[in-house]
Amino acid sequence: MLNLSLPLRLQLCLVLVIGTAFLEKGAWIYLVIYGIIALVWSFFQRVPLRRLTGLLGTELIFLLFMALPLGWEKASFLLARSLICLLTMNSFLLTLPPHSFGIALKSLPLPQGLKENLLLTGQYLEILLDEVKRMQRGAQLRGVNGKAVWLRYASAAMIGSLYIRSLERSERVYAAMVARGYRGQLPQDSTLTRKELILIITAIAAATMITATSYFT
Amino acid sequence: MHIPDGFISLPVAGVTGLISVAALGIALKKSQDAFGVKRAPILGLTTAFVFAAQMINFPVAGGVSGHLLGGTLAAIILGSPWAGTICIATVLIIQAVLFADGGITALGSNILNMGVIGVWVGWGLTKILQQIFSTSRVRLPIIAGIAGAFSVIVASIACGIELVVSGTAIANLVLPAMTGVHILIGVGEGLITGSVITYLANVRPDLLPGEEHKTRSWLIPVIAVLLIASVLSLFASAFPDGLEKVAEDIGFIKLAENVRVSIPTPLADYGIEGLGQIGTSIAGLLGSGVCFAVAFGIAQLVKPKDA
Repeated sequence: MLNLSLPLRLQLCLVLVIGTAFLEKGAWIYLVIYGIIALVWSFFQRVPLRRLTGLLGTELIFLLFMALPLGWEKASFLLARSLICLLTMNSFLLTLPPHSFGIALKSLPLPQGLKENLLLTGQYLEILLDEVKRMQRGAQLRGVNGKAVWLRYASAAMIGSLYIRSLERSERVYAAMVARGYRGQLPQDSTLTRKELILIITAIAAATMITATSYFT
Repeated sequence: MHIPDGFISLPVAGVTGLISVAALGIALKKSQDAFGVKRAPILGLTTAFVFAAQMINFPVAGGVSGHLLGGTLAAIILGSPWAGTICIATVLIIQAVLFADGGITALGSNILNMGVIGVWVGWGLTKILQQIFSTSRVRLPIIAGIAGAFSVIVASIACGIELVVSGTAIANLVLPAMTGVHILIGVGEGLITGSVITYLANVRPDLLPGEEHKTRSWLIPVIAVLLIASVLSLFASAFPDGLEKVAEDIGFIKLAENVRVSIPTPLADYGIEGLGQIGTSIAGLLGSGVCFAVAFGIAQLVKPKDA
């Protein structure tokens, strides 16, 4: 795996994703350039291939439904562009050490409130999913099975109950974070070194050049 | 309603992006108290909750599916439309960057439609209906349900307008289609919003805003006028009024065409040439604005000096 710091990895990923997203429609050559960079990037990060393909497959099915009504020509470009963005971001997320997203996030030049909310949302999603599993298990143990079981999970009481249970747990988690020194941002330092800063500026310049050129050819 | 990359033009993306950044900046400043020890978990969890809820699509008629927008629900649970805007904007950023659901170039438009318009219309309408009917928590679920449904429709109209201005679709086609589909999705949104708030009102009433909350008195007429002029005007009957009908039947309607001096009017027939139904909305908003400015100007002129 590349020996790069988490903030640098996140910022390089974002440069690649934003550069790809802003490409002119139909600029296939430039899309291929970004595609090659994304592939090399994922290769050097040693992404677990099985999990990556599984994630990309699920996400692309959703995208297919949205893009195909536009016609094959337009849809194929949009899909390829989305695939490159997803490949880049998933490669980053799948190689992230546990609970380290906040450290990477801290380095981004975004308002503190937004970064805090992004961090908490990521953490609470895990809690939310965990509570869903617990409630499912509880319902199965009480004999709620069969074809109409989804109705129970879709009912307002279940949704409300899920919210309350998750909220109570997330309040406990937050209190524990505060007790360990969390004051709206993680106590770890997350600044870029001079070398990393130069690398980021070079990447931004290169991406701007590639994307801007796609509009003039 | 997530606009993907490629659907909107760069100027529209730029303008909506700037508006969204400004709205988000103000929202972050106004929601300082939302990040304290007591409120931060509620904001974070509500964001995660809306994110998860948006992943679950429910079927509506005609082979179309929809999902919860959650703007009204978030604003009511958080007790502030500013915090609601932060919540929905965060959801949209995560969806665009990590899941390619909604384009990165269209992020500004999506935040404007769902995080600003969706949240504020839902919140504003909730407050208006509470003022009209009751501020009691018992009626909050119904009021929130109606507001939630309406917020989806208004957000979809905003989305349609952006597509038209970008040149992606024609107003006559995209606006009725977007409104029609989102009326059905709005029903789903209203039901989910109302049901969840009913549950919360029973189990954790402390999470919901208290009954003593009051909106500023000027906010109600302003929002009501804007909604009537921009949205309800789209559904106005195209039939002639009483006088025109009689003139048509008796045959003197042609006299109106033989006027001696023809004065060109920019908003003739409450529309703008070439803009179709959006023209009606824009004309309605401009008309309301001009009426307000004239009335306000006259009031300033005639009011006593010591008033």
